[in-house]
Amino acid sequence: MQATTMETVLQLRNVTKKIGGRTIVDNLSFDVPAGEVFGFLGPNGAGKTTTIRMIVGLISMTKGEVIVKGVSVRKQFAQAMTHIGAIVENPEMYKFLSGYQNLVHFARRHSGIAKERIDEVVKLVGLQNRIHEKVKRYSLGMRQRLGVAQAILHRPSVLILDEPTNGLDPAGIRELRDYLRKLTRDEGIAVIVSSHLLSEMELMCDRVAIIQGGKLIDVRSLQDTTDSPQARIMIDVGNTALAYQVLTDSISDLKISILGKQLEIESDKALIPDIARLLVKADVDIYGIHSSHKSLEDQFLEMTGGEMVV
Amino acid sequence: MSNFRDLLRNENMKIYRRPRTWLMIGFLILSLLLMSGLMKYDEVRNDSSDWKQQVTEENQVLQQEIQNNATADPDFVKNMENEIKLNEYYLEHNLNPNELSMWDYVNTSAMLILLVTILTVIVAADMIAAEFSWGTIKLLLVGPASRTKVMLSKYVATMGFALLLLILSFTVAFAAGAALQGFGGLSLPHLSVSADGIIHESSMIADSLQQYGFAIVSLLMYVTFAFMISAAFRSSSMAIAFSLLFMLVGNSLTMLFSSYGWVKYLLFANIDLTRYLAGNDPIRPEMTLTFSIMMLVAYYVLFQLVSWLLFTKRDVAA
Repeated sequence: MQATTMETVLQLRNVTKKIGGRTIVDNLSFDVPAGEVFGFLGPNGAGKTTTIRMIVGLISMTKGEVIVKGVSVRKQFAQAMTHIGAIVENPEMYKFLSGYQNLVHFARRHSGIAKERIDEVVKLVGLQNRIHEKVKRYSLGMRQRLGVAQAILHRPSVLILDEPTNGLDPAGIRELRDYLRKLTRDEGIAVIVSSHLLSEMELMCDRVAIIQGGKLIDVRSLQDTTDSPQARIMIDVGNTALAYQVLTDSISDLKISILGKQLEIESDKALIPDIARLLVKADVDIYGIHSSHKSLEDQFLEMTGGEMVV
Repeated sequence: MSNFRDLLRNENMKIYRRPRTWLMIGFLILSLLLMSGLMKYDEVRNDSSDWKQQVTEENQVLQQEIQNNATADPDFVKNMENEIKLNEYYLEHNLNPNELSMWDYVNTSAMLILLVTILTVIVAADMIAAEFSWGTIKLLLVGPASRTKVMLSKYVATMGFALLLLILSFTVAFAAGAALQGFGGLSLPHLSVSADGIIHESSMIADSLQQYGFAIVSLLMYVTFAFMISAAFRSSSMAIAFSLLFMLVGNSLTMLFSSYGWVKYLLFANIDLTRYLAGNDPIRPEMTLTFSIMMLVAYYVLFQLVSWLLFTKRDVAA
């Protein structure tokens, strides 16, 4: 997804929230282009939820501006909301209504949503067999799907998901991820998602903003990190002491440590063949070499100074 | 953007799709039928075929009383004189005062507006608070409608529910009266004695509607109050508890402190406008109908303003 060529659909400009002298969100500014999945990362209490709720107008801004498709959320709330679809935390629906009635409820608020559109969305999230049942008989996964249906009924330009994977089983999470991919690809919707499940965010997002103490620390593209040559190399060897000796002697400035019967090396992937050759020459038995790039979690912990509470 | 009619339809759907609402409506109808049945039972049990003799005897007793209490309170004497006049009128026109007409059922049903008020308070209390406890408030507010519009749709839907219950009470009582007494009493006049001691005939339906009208004033105030508490504390139980508490103890509280001048500024001292009808006294001698209406309007505006401020200006954080 080429972020630069796409139209910007959501802009945050110096968004600030102060409650009783304490700054919860501090001068947040960033842009999200159409078709991108944009993630919010941060330790608990960093201001993720507050920021998301300011975007949808549930919480008022002390200062700053949120602009959706050129419309200010603060000044023209109703107009701005026609472009936003949201699932805030668990998708809470009216349990005494059927899934269909719930969708009718949300559809009525927007002008011009035809019955056909409701049916289409129901099909899209795969609820057509159970849609006329009361929501109280739905499983959490089904409620989540109904939540997605409700959020995309009016073809919004921006979809906002606050902790959407809370309480979902792995299959449900995967399902949600697939929907989001499909929506961004097929309908060009920008998705803003906050979660504390880092591995999920890694799979879901194109870019992530890292927030700590209400401040934006970094916005980075996840494509870059997966392509990054920097890797963690684990080598299973017979004689760890000998292998350690050989490698430290031959390669200078090598980040290497012994982990049980394994060597852990942080280095460029291009170095792997050299390392293997060196070990073979020195007659060290190799049982396996495994390399992995640095996970988002590692990077995240690095950046936020390990202040993560998951 | 949402138009108001659609928002109102949504709120109505949320009221009438709940089984609880139909339970409440059923309960109201049952109470009305029970009331009508008891009235009929009472009439049948007290045989009044010799009513002419009874009324004549009653008048003699009243005459005696007046002679014995010539120095008593002039209001007291006046009341008795009026009663004698009415009784004489009954005898003259051959109207049995003990025989119920269908209008008696309708008039008695006006007392059940207290029940209508309680039921509407329950609905009003849930209107905003339940959205918070269900967690649906977030989705409700993240829509293309201002909070003011959302709140107004909720208030109007609540009042629509009250109106439905009122029409239901009137109709059920009317139908029960007609079924038990026949339509014979439909054109019976409502008799009253005016200040100058002359008997007036007026329309029964006007009298019934007046009774309903006075009861609706307190309904409107208590329901709006419950709505405000619902918006303020976001808790239905608190809204129900406070409203019912005020309904129950408000009156005795005002009576208890009626010797103090500030009592007249309390909601409860003004809520019962029947106190300004002939034959009743207001809580404080200096109170007038205009004063009470002004106080009620002031309270109403205050309740609405507080609800609006708390619903539209506060963050939804939880």
